[in-house]
Amino acid sequence: MTGRVSAVRRRRLGLLDAIIAAAAIAVVVYVVYRINTYLVYNWDWERLIQFFVRFDATRGQWVPNLLFEGIVISIRVCFWGAVMALAIGLVMGLCRVSNALVLRQISRGYVELVRNMAPVPFFFIAFFFVGNQLLLPLELDSMMREASPETRAVVDVLFGQPNLLRNFIAAAIALALYDGAYITEIVRAGVQSIERGQWEAANSLGLSRYHVLRHVILPQAVQRITPPLTNQSIQLVKDSALVSLLSIQELTFMGQEIAHSTTRFFETWIIVAALYFVACYGLSRLYGRIERRMKRGRTEIVGA
Amino acid sequence: MAVAASAKPRRSIARRSPWIDTAQTVVLAGVLIYVVVTGASSLTYNWQWYRIPKLLYVVSEGKLVWGPLIQGLFVTLEITAWGLPLAVGIGLVTALLRRSESIAAQAVASGYLQLIRNTPILVQVYLFYFVVAPIFGLGAFWACVLALSFHEGSFTAEIFRSGIESVRRGQWEAADSLGLSRYHRYRHVVLPQAIPIMLPPLTGQIVTLIKHSSILSAVAIFDLTNMAIDKIAETFMAFEIWLTTAAIYLVLTIAFSVVVDIVERRIRRRGRA
Repeated sequence: MTGRVSAVRRRRLGLLDAIIAAAAIAVVVYVVYRINTYLVYNWDWERLIQFFVRFDATRGQWVPNLLFEGIVISIRVCFWGAVMALAIGLVMGLCRVSNALVLRQISRGYVELVRNMAPVPFFFIAFFFVGNQLLLPLELDSMMREASPETRAVVDVLFGQPNLLRNFIAAAIALALYDGAYITEIVRAGVQSIERGQWEAANSLGLSRYHVLRHVILPQAVQRITPPLTNQSIQLVKDSALVSLLSIQELTFMGQEIAHSTTRFFETWIIVAALYFVACYGLSRLYGRIERRMKRGRTEIVGA
Repeated sequence: MAVAASAKPRRSIARRSPWIDTAQTVVLAGVLIYVVVTGASSLTYNWQWYRIPKLLYVVSEGKLVWGPLIQGLFVTLEITAWGLPLAVGIGLVTALLRRSESIAAQAVASGYLQLIRNTPILVQVYLFYFVVAPIFGLGAFWACVLALSFHEGSFTAEIFRSGIESVRRGQWEAADSLGLSRYHRYRHVVLPQAIPIMLPPLTGQIVTLIKHSSILSAVAIFDLTNMAIDKIAETFMAFEIWLTTAAIYLVLTIAFSVVVDIVERRIRRRGRA
């Protein structure tokens, strides 16, 4: 619509631009005045940069510091959370379109529960129930204590500190259960978006329901659900910040630690927000590029 | 596998009473709850449900006094009540700025949307509480309400945008050809058609607001979630209090979902008449 209008009237700086520019300048001036004159805040970015890497004088080398470790743990939480959320979403999404009412009821109940529950209580309940109840019989703690140094090293790379393994897995499951509900709905919408003719054609070929889904419906549905799934993965990165409330030492948790121990609140939270922004914005640009390339590839195949 | 198994006797399933399936679901849910409860008792977890009512209300000297959880619920509702109109206002302004021809207006609107969409709400809450609030001299309550409304504003902006864009092109052209000014075009042609489309998702935003307000508990605002955390630290009844809190949120959000449903149906019926 804007395109149509702007085609008629040429775009130029108008009154609204002047008003907004004036307002923006006024806000900036006021903020600077408040920070410098009223709060007398001394910016100390250098100190914060040292929380990425710091120079260890005793060892004589640069070592990663809290913020860097937080980023690594965030990536681990997001990775395992995404893998499990995808599995949960796929299974529950297929249950959602199943012929059996009992499966539909279970998946519907799960989705409605997550979508109507406030995130913080949900994360705590999922964390306590999964972490303290379901994972306890696995005896991960003693398993890790008796594990060989090699396995401990592998676990350390994949999941972080072995003695915190149970908490980490419980938190990743909480995150996966939360985002899995949204993926369930994406999968359901994808399967239901396939035209009836496709179902009828597959049925008339005498395929069983499994084969209908496997060879006819899902291959088409996957293409349609890829864009919303990539969006959901960005959402998952943002939701992963909530894991900090469960004392998982990821980026937001580290931000809080640094902010409170140094009292550099402004710099810390601006840096943490900027890091999340870079991650999420970068991901969305990356996905956009991949999507465009895939679309081009598809049209070329069709064209040939 | 259950999906595949159900394929062959398809007709028999269609004829099967839905009550059998419902019963299966209920039994399954029961087993799940039983496993959790016995699992907790095997950890020698001491269930103390009888202490919960005291956290909700106390009757002293014939007078009803609300307990900490209900007091927290009132704070949550207060935040929601302030947050909704603010979020709607922010969303409307953002949507209009984006549609305007001014370059600065579009830059401000899209900058705001990108910033909100690409950072976690928890970090936004910390930013408002620890950075924005001291700069503008805001109290904890308003820092939280503003953080929440700026976050939800990005959703309402999207609702306004899609609502306005759903008005067919012919309508815009008709308004143009009648020589209506931009204000009158929106006032008399576009908005009367867009508002019925926008109203259901806007009321649905109440549910999102209530849900997201729980995240504010990360800073010093004593809403329902924070009261729950506070009482758990005091009484160690983690399971009982979390389940009670979750139930309160569920009742609240489901109640509002029903309201949204009614609004939606009303509007649809009126549209048909």
